[in-house]
Amino acid sequence: MSNEIWVVADLTIDGKVRKATFEGLSEARRKLAVKLGGQLCGVLLGSGVSGLASELGKYGAEKVYVIDNELLKDYTPEGYSIALSELIKKHEPHIVITGNTSIGQDYFPRVAARVGAGLTLDAIDLDLTDDKRLKVRRYMYSAKSIATVEFLDHKPMMTTIRPNVFKPEEASKNPEVINESIDIKPERILTKTVEVKRKESTRPELTEADRIVSGGRGMASGDNFYLIFDLADAIGAAAGASRAAVDSGFVPYEMQVGQTGKVVSPTLYIAIAISGSVQHYAGMGSSRVIVAINKDQDAPIFQKCDYGIVADLFQLVPALTEEFKKLLAQQ
Amino acid sequence: MKIVVIVRQTPDTEAKIKVASSGNSIDIEGIKWIVSPYDEFAIEEAIKIKEKLGTGEVILITMGPARCVEALRTGLAMGADSAIHIKDESFAFTDPYAIAKVIGQEIRGLGGFDLILTGKKMIDEETGQVGIHVAEDLGISHIAIVTKVELSSDKKKVTCQKEIEGGQVVAEVPLPALLTCEKGLNEPRYASLPGIMKAKKKPVKEVTPDNINVETLGLTKEALGQAGARFKVTKLEVPQVQRKLKVIKEAEVPEAAKELVKLLREEAKVI
Repeated sequence: MSNEIWVVADLTIDGKVRKATFEGLSEARRKLAVKLGGQLCGVLLGSGVSGLASELGKYGAEKVYVIDNELLKDYTPEGYSIALSELIKKHEPHIVITGNTSIGQDYFPRVAARVGAGLTLDAIDLDLTDDKRLKVRRYMYSAKSIATVEFLDHKPMMTTIRPNVFKPEEASKNPEVINESIDIKPERILTKTVEVKRKESTRPELTEADRIVSGGRGMASGDNFYLIFDLADAIGAAAGASRAAVDSGFVPYEMQVGQTGKVVSPTLYIAIAISGSVQHYAGMGSSRVIVAINKDQDAPIFQKCDYGIVADLFQLVPALTEEFKKLLAQQ
Repeated sequence: MKIVVIVRQTPDTEAKIKVASSGNSIDIEGIKWIVSPYDEFAIEEAIKIKEKLGTGEVILITMGPARCVEALRTGLAMGADSAIHIKDESFAFTDPYAIAKVIGQEIRGLGGFDLILTGKKMIDEETGQVGIHVAEDLGISHIAIVTKVELSSDKKKVTCQKEIEGGQVVAEVPLPALLTCEKGLNEPRYASLPGIMKAKKKPVKEVTPDNINVETLGLTKEALGQAGARFKVTKLEVPQVQRKLKVIKEAEVPEAAKELVKLLREEAKVI
């Protein structure tokens, strides 16, 4: 059993290292590595990925394990699970972390089962007990409660972390790169990737965005969402929606924020014509600053926001967009 | 085609969460329980597949206290054929890995299956591990977070669409396989009155801890409750976020917009 802490890189469709990886490395260095007296390591799984090792070093990885294999070119649960579980069995790290992304959530449960590890998902805080067991905090019952979860005596201990919660912080290291070859039998990969469709959007991903502008039922139609998009683009924000707006058919489900949608934690969340149901708050309640714009002064959102304006959105939002543009143009 | 649906009973999404006196779980007094919303998509999809093929069997399975039978009845009223309830009060604290092992054993006991469906996550513990653990345990493929499901005409493969960050993926796996369901896959039906009446007569098999052979699962008796879990909740809190609650009322639009931007710049420092 080593004292290593591993952060497994999460890659985008285009093969770039996702921000959640840097957030994981930074938080693990701040909260775990010193206390554990262990080495912070990055792990890269994929095809043609060795070049990314230096990026992990930039955020504090002292060592980077690389499994570069043609069979890992497309993500498959089988390929990734075999690669990571074999690597874990060989080096026996103390803690293994990755982002709580569509990929991380998909193969970490399989890896945990294979190596006999405990796994928690979507941690918003990382810590160690005095006897060096992992202790995380995570939401339960959507954002209505926060649980402190302590691992019992199972090693390694695995967790995914919620993107956009931990601060990425550079800590320039020149990592030792260790190329590992794991024997993956092609016939064990049963999942076939038929097609990958990229979304054509210039706006950031909801789950990674630093700023989000969302519209609710009061937008009255999908066409009116141009007001949301214009405001979002003026401040470089992602665009979201409430369940009511999605269920009314204004915008697609992928934009839904809430208990049965995306869970987000931006620095700034602007809720426009969203009443602020318990379920919506469950998806955005951990935002640092919440702004509400609603014409109904009794809307529950006004009890849960930092700043609010009681006004008609159709007049206010264009004015707000202009004000932001003016301010940002001065810089 | 035999389709198994793994179901979880959770507090209603409207439920107000209070911490129990133990300090590490919720106070269940007065809680209204529902089928975890994502599991409803799974039940609906299973019934739709059976209807489309004109033949088949939909079996629900859950692990949890006595109250969970209500979730099974809901699914049976929607149109599932039978259910299995792995029942004990202590099962409320079983960890996902052990739940999956026990559910996996029951599924093996069905004498073959083609498809397992479940929700992308349980909305109480906020984890989607159980389904994927079951797939791993049974040695079958899975596709998670699917928004579209298509069976091949020879019923040997399933092709699914799933949302990922920045796009969509279409993936194909051989059957038997497990799929976890995302909102957008379908619109779950409401149980009809005749459906509810019929559900009362549909078989629900009960499995008690005595029926579970923990040794063959590589578990301990304790693993079925909190004592043997791989981690435990030591504290549960209701987050108290202090919001500023500065609401601008009755202001003219241009001034209100100016004021807000100023506050965001100078006070909140987020722009």
